[in-house]
Amino acid sequence: MYIDPHIHVVSRTTDDYEAMRKAGIVAIIEPAFWLGQPRTEVGSFKDYFSTLVGWERFRASQFGIVHYCTMGLNSKEANNEPLAEEVMELLPLYVGKEGVVAIGEIGYDDQTEAEDKFYRLQLELAKEVDLPVLIHTPHRDKRKGTIRSMDVSEEHGLDPQMVIVDHNNEETVKEVLDRGYYAGFTIYPHTKMGSERMVEIVKQYGPERIIVNSAADWGISDPLAVPKTADLMRKSGIPEDHIKLVTYQNALTAFGQSGQMDEQDWLNAAPLDQTKKMSGNSVLRGGQTPRVEGPSDIVEN
Amino acid sequence: MQDQVSNFLIQLLQAGNNSKGLNWLEKQTQKISSEPVPAKLFLAFSQASRFFKKEKLELSVKQLEQADQLCSGFEPNFWDELQTARAVLLLSYKAEKETWFKTVNQLFETADMYEHQALFAALPVLPFQEDLIPRAIDGLRTNISLVFDAIALNNPFPAKYFPEANWNQMILKAIFMQRPLYKVQGLEERRNPDLAAIARDFAHERWAAGRDVMPEIWRLVAPFVDEMFMSDLQKALESQDELQMKAVLLALRESAYGPAEKQLEQFPELVAKLDMEAKAWKSIGEEFQQTRV
Ligand SMILES: [Zn+2]
Repeated sequence: MYIDPHIHVVSRTTDDYEAMRKAGIVAIIEPAFWLGQPRTEVGSFKDYFSTLVGWERFRASQFGIVHYCTMGLNSKEANNEPLAEEVMELLPLYVGKEGVVAIGEIGYDDQTEAEDKFYRLQLELAKEVDLPVLIHTPHRDKRKGTIRSMDVSEEHGLDPQMVIVDHNNEETVKEVLDRGYYAGFTIYPHTKMGSERMVEIVKQYGPERIIVNSAADWGISDPLAVPKTADLMRKSGIPEDHIKLVTYQNALTAFGQSGQMDEQDWLNAAPLDQTKKMSGNSVLRGGQTPRVEGPSDIVEN
Repeated sequence: MQDQVSNFLIQLLQAGNNSKGLNWLEKQTQKISSEPVPAKLFLAFSQASRFFKKEKLELSVKQLEQADQLCSGFEPNFWDELQTARAVLLLSYKAEKETWFKTVNQLFETADMYEHQALFAALPVLPFQEDLIPRAIDGLRTNISLVFDAIALNNPFPAKYFPEANWNQMILKAIFMQRPLYKVQGLEERRNPDLAAIARDFAHERWAAGRDVMPEIWRLVAPFVDEMFMSDLQKALESQDELQMKAVLLALRESAYGPAEKQLEQFPELVAKLDMEAKAWKSIGEEFQQTRV
């Protein structure tokens, strides 16, 4: 059983969902982020947030995967201040919803003043609704941006245990762990962290508070990065209980602090039933036979 | 009326022994009704899931009657605790029409699946009923059966308010999704010749694709049986599927079409079985749902 605690499945196909389930992924977290191109209207954010708690969650369930999400205004789009203000007004409608396990991805991109302002506002929001925070650390000037994210979070009085600092590398991991934060690692094919580097990090730092994810999205990325990394860890002699911590349990412990994520959600899930889907405009196309696990298809109404 | 329904729903929730949830609910409804800021409603509405579970309500016979007296056709016995709490929150928000719609539209537009379920199932007890018709019609475009069911099943709103074309579309979609038609309120009263023709076309499409039709579909045809429909019913009779045959016989028995009598005479045993079932359409519908897939 694996959890991929950072994946943007709105950009993925049902083939990916099938492969993920087959590879043992039982639950995923989809952080609200940007879509590759800036949005220009607040309504685009509204519909995107609604998709995360609505259709995408339903779609994942049809493939036997429990879908959670985080809600937030990403740092890139925080730079359009008038729009960002409107998004901030929208967020209270979503952060309290079922299955919203954190405020995120928030943090810095270019580390501008606007980014700083909205990052801080959202840290306050997280405190108000008692949710963990998922921090996106910048690609450029990463080390400085990562440290600043933690400094500001502490300035606002957040407990490091409630904060997951994501997209770490060899340069940032030590300080993030030393200061008591959860450290997320994104396995990107070709770039950033490869599975091999991940193995070395777990060997060096141990499995405590380290979380592996795919951050798979519309770009070059691999939705199977978590199970593949687990396999490589196995081959490299990392003990099974350590693998479980970094590819399952730590994510559950960290995001479970929201009270919105419970192992029972997938251990006791209703049998997979694709017939609940409608034939009209469903994920199944004409001629495909729905897959049914379990004895029957009685829909209690 | 809003307060009466709300009090009744709270009374139903009290059976759940969830004092923490009920205390929270009381505090929230006070906040919502005393401060006319939508933000209070928004936050409470979504966070209700932290205090109430999706446990089905249990109503006594007396409570069932009370529900129907409060609002004809109101069936909270199909509701769960979470959606009931959400309905209470919604009912505690009071405003003049324009403000009310601005707020409630926002709730509809940002709802997740279970919030949609709560909102749509609550339609019959909300204020400004007639202005909510477009919202209900739009809601039926969903791809999620849980949401579709909240509008179409066990809900008096569509039968009471939908124009015929929208009513017919809803029933066709319910057939398409194989939803239990016997749970559609007013199904019998709102049958019409157009709908019967739609049902017939649908049956032909399914047969052309080598598939069966759900037996409940023949209920829509019953009052309009004529020579044309008769040939379809005969075809269904030949299916050798007992549920299908029983449905056809029920339709024939209800129809005033002369030659139907002869057909009925050919299946005395099945007809006798139908007589034993007080609610034959319901039992056909239930049985069909259990054999599905
Ligand atoms: Zn991301």
